[in-house]
Amino acid sequence: MTSRPSPASKPLIVARDLSRIYHAGKTRVVGLDHVDLEVGAGEMVVLKGVSGSGKSTLLALLAGLDRPTSGMLHVAGLDLLKASSTALTHFRRRKVGMVFQSFNLLPTLTVLENVCLPGLLAGDSESEVRRRARAWIERMGLGSRMHHLPGELSGGEMQRTAIARALINDPPILLADEPTGNLDSDNGGIVVRLLADLNRSHGRTVVMATHGDLADAFATRIVRLRDGRMV
Amino acid sequence: MKRAFFPKLFFWLHVRHVRRHPGRAVAVVLGVAIGAAVFTSVRLAMRASLDSFSRSMDAVTGAADRVVIRPGDFVPEEWVARLLARDEVASAAPFLSAYVQDEDQRSSPFLLIGIDPFLDASFRTWSRAGDSRAGWDLVTRPFTLLMTEKLARLLDRSVGDEIRLRHPRGTAAFRIAGILDKEGTGALEGGLAAVADIATFQEFTGLSGWVDRIDLKLRHPGSSRDIEALRRLLPRDLVLERPGSGKAAGQGLLRAYAANLSVLSFVSLFVGMFLIYSLVALNAASRRRETAVLLSLGATSRSVFLLFVTEGLFYGLLGWFLALPLGLPLVRWMVEGVGRTVSVLFVRVAPEDLVLSPWELAVSLVGTLVVSALAAVQPAAEAMKVSPKEAMALSAGRERHGDAGRGPVVPALALIASVWGLSRLPPAGGTAYGGYAATFALFVGFSLLSPYVLRRLGRSSAPALKRVFGPAAYLAGRSVARSGTRVAVSVGSLLTAVALFVALTIMVHSFRNTVNAWVHQTVSGDLFASPRLNEMNRHRNIFSSDQVALLKALASRADLVPFRRFYLQYRNLPYQFEVTDFAAWFPHSGYLWVEGDPASARRSLLEGTGCVVSEVFANKIGLSVGERFRDRIAGVELDLPIVGVIRDYRSQGGVVFFSLPRFREMRLAAGLLTQDEEWSGVRFFVREDRADRAGVLNRIKRTLVEKFGDRVSFIEGNELRDRILRIFDETFAITFVLLFIALVVAALGIATTLAVSVLERSVELNTLSALGGSAAQIRSMIGWEAALLVAAGEVLGLLCGLALSVLLVYGINRQSFGWTFIYEVNGATFLWALPLIFGAALAASFPVVRLALRQSPAALLREL
Ligand SMILES: Nc1ncnc2c1ncn2[C@@H]1O[C@H](COP(=O)(O)OP(=O)(O)OP(=O)(O)O)[C@@H](O)[C@H]1O
Ligand SMILES: [Mg+2]
Repeated sequence: MTSRPSPASKPLIVARDLSRIYHAGKTRVVGLDHVDLEVGAGEMVVLKGVSGSGKSTLLALLAGLDRPTSGMLHVAGLDLLKASSTALTHFRRRKVGMVFQSFNLLPTLTVLENVCLPGLLAGDSESEVRRRARAWIERMGLGSRMHHLPGELSGGEMQRTAIARALINDPPILLADEPTGNLDSDNGGIVVRLLADLNRSHGRTVVMATHGDLADAFATRIVRLRDGRMV
Repeated sequence: MKRAFFPKLFFWLHVRHVRRHPGRAVAVVLGVAIGAAVFTSVRLAMRASLDSFSRSMDAVTGAADRVVIRPGDFVPEEWVARLLARDEVASAAPFLSAYVQDEDQRSSPFLLIGIDPFLDASFRTWSRAGDSRAGWDLVTRPFTLLMTEKLARLLDRSVGDEIRLRHPRGTAAFRIAGILDKEGTGALEGGLAAVADIATFQEFTGLSGWVDRIDLKLRHPGSSRDIEALRRLLPRDLVLERPGSGKAAGQGLLRAYAANLSVLSFVSLFVGMFLIYSLVALNAASRRRETAVLLSLGATSRSVFLLFVTEGLFYGLLGWFLALPLGLPLVRWMVEGVGRTVSVLFVRVAPEDLVLSPWELAVSLVGTLVVSALAAVQPAAEAMKVSPKEAMALSAGRERHGDAGRGPVVPALALIASVWGLSRLPPAGGTAYGGYAATFALFVGFSLLSPYVLRRLGRSSAPALKRVFGPAAYLAGRSVARSGTRVAVSVGSLLTAVALFVALTIMVHSFRNTVNAWVHQTVSGDLFASPRLNEMNRHRNIFSSDQVALLKALASRADLVPFRRFYLQYRNLPYQFEVTDFAAWFPHSGYLWVEGDPASARRSLLEGTGCVVSEVFANKIGLSVGERFRDRIAGVELDLPIVGVIRDYRSQGGVVFFSLPRFREMRLAAGLLTQDEEWSGVRFFVREDRADRAGVLNRIKRTLVEKFGDRVSFIEGNELRDRILRIFDETFAITFVLLFIALVVAALGIATTLAVSVLERSVELNTLSALGGSAAQIRSMIGWEAALLVAAGEVLGLLCGLALSVLLVYGINRQSFGWTFIYEVNGATFLWALPLIFGAALAASFPVVRLALRQSPAALLREL
């Protein structure tokens, strides 16, 4: 929130000939098959495709959670194929924020603590992190839930907490995998509008995977995958 | 659900699950196996010692209905004939025994038995192997004997050979007339025994006209009138009693020791129980969804409960089977170690190698299964409560991690509070059941307290951890603070082992210090002398008149403190009655007083107007200062006020001390004195003012050797005291091995618990990674969690151990053995030992830290 990502001369995400092949025992499963993708700063890309088409695989690669089998992948200026694990950790801390289908809040931490977590992990000063976290939580409409544990929240509230958490380190890129998958359509709508707003008024680049069409109206681009290939 | 379907369901759901995660199951089964192996081998070893003792006693007792003895003295042989002449008596036979040793000392001292081969035939089977006329040679040819094959082999002799044997009264050559049949007599003293004719025996030992006891077979064993008639016939100092009272008394001593070891070894199994608990609980939690699906498909909650209890039993059973091969080498070692300890401390036993008693195997199997099932009950009950609706919820696969709450603080405190009451329950048959129940109440109570303690510890330490060690340590603190009962209860395994360590260390330390003080105060003296082998022969031999005269002559160089000791029984409690010359002894040493006024007690000991009893005697018999001690000893009727209770750590029962001059007067008055002084031992105290102490001692020793040769044995006071302390240390070797094993199982427990908690939280760890946690941060978090868990286990273990040590010193020892010690905490030991345990437990968790990063964080996106 402190600084808006400056419009890059280069695209924020560049994937060329990107493949991810899984080896489960002897069988070889193609998760992603020679994908080329460019996402510019400020875009909101919606990934679509049937189950098993490779959406999560692509997001995991973009988030630096997984490494490609072959091809080229640059995200926010970092070559994710060659990056050291220290560089990847730094990348995950500063460049991307992740939102998951099943929220993945730490059950033992309160809303505030969950949101603070990435900031603390990144080594920022606690008072500063707290200040940012409070602001984001307020913005997500969770001011009254600050000290609640995840177990005490509704699904929508949990996902909004997760979004605040993804934003705490002010990353230029937000990645969301089925963020509405575990929510009813009302709550799903709220979450999608939040992400769209972050994209529009805060200039975040958003890549989200979804089955539904709630996000279609806000997308700057819709990318369709089938069997790991872009179609 | 049909019954036949259950095993299949169990196989589907459980065995396949185990196959997917073999590591944890192996750790748990191994832990249980170690526990079961220790328990089983200790029980088997104890059983071997008890059996050896019983067999030996039975072989000696034979088929007698009643025996005639004279407590503290020998029975005149003439009574054999007089009793045989009675109508009530069907048969009577004299019996004598003494420990002797071969001149070359190839064998340790062994039991020589003197019998009348013909009279004895109806009591015992002394048959010579392959010869029914066993006794003939013994009677017709003097100084012949029969011995067991084992003894012959040890002595390197065969039939017809000569062997020279030593006894306090001298040395004599015997001819081996034959080998004793293995049956009946082979069992005697573990096969170290020989039999001679009574006349030979009496000549050899200088006991002509005397026997140890007369065994009787009655015509009407049930007739109390006959028994009354015999009682009336016998003079007052001859006692008619049931045979085997020595056996009962010996078994009483052994049982207390057996119970102690059993409980100690059971702790390892108990610690293994925490392992089963944590694994079943993990499985129940991670299969929550599966359980919900099962329930929604029509399984009853009872069968879900059974499913998880069966799982506990399954681990228990596997562990028990693995325990057998694991336990085999352990059993060998235990049988030997326990046998040696029992022989040194209580009664001589020579346990056979290894008897796989089906009864003991069954006890250990049932024990293991009960423990395993109990461990699974709570998680199974939790699983039973799963709602079938959860099968429908999309992401309900995960447990609801709410605030774990305080945990069962009230039941925990109630259990801990119950310890006081339990420990005060009277022991039954010498076994401190109440004390042992209290021990486990302590363990369980403190374990139940651990959720609360973890919560406090995690919460209070988290902010400091954050400030000093960063966010990883902070997260660890938070996660520990909210860890559920599952993690908390498994802290119990470490807690139990640490508590045991603390308590045993304090107990042994206090025990040793007190024994040390006792040894230096009471077992004082520069030189101890007694007729040869007198200790083994229960001080039955006294110095001859000329020996006494010479000893008195030596008293010009050093103060001489004579004493005489009798081995007796007081209501089934073996005890020693010791008379000593207090006027000579008090200037040099004293007692460690427990009760009574030392000054006045000393006065009445000097005057011979009262006696003091050992703590063991007082506690076991229930007599104390002010009450009277009454017994008939060596023909003397004693009725004395007890003027003091003192510490004494002879393990063979209690002790009563009385004045030697006064006892001599009583013997004299009763016309029983056999010679001017009846001493069974003396101590020399070199006078303080003698400059050349070592020289004086050496001169005394030289004189003893020159004049008495091998008929008198002596030992320097320092050597004797060192020997006592060494025996003490050896005795506790087994204890510390058992303790060490419990600690190993506990370390396994901590490692499993952590592994379980790590695996279970893979989502959480991956999330951390996705949010920018570095590998180092995540490792450090797990490391901190381990440290906090171990710290909680140690702190609780320390507290529990302090409580347990008090229970051990003042409760269990008192009830089991009758003694207490001066309580003393050896803080210095803990200063190095507790950090060491901490380090070891932490080291055990290192592999787990690595485990944390095994999975790729991308798995997150596939998690539902
Ligand atoms: N760790 C893995 N090991 C083996 N195969 C995998 C792994 N992860 C994904 N796959 C395979 O890769 C393919 C793409 O999976 P991915 O999870 O990316 O699909 P998706 O589009 O996210 O589907 P959904 O909409 O169901 O989430 C699938 O065929 C899947 O089975
Ligand atoms: Mg997916």
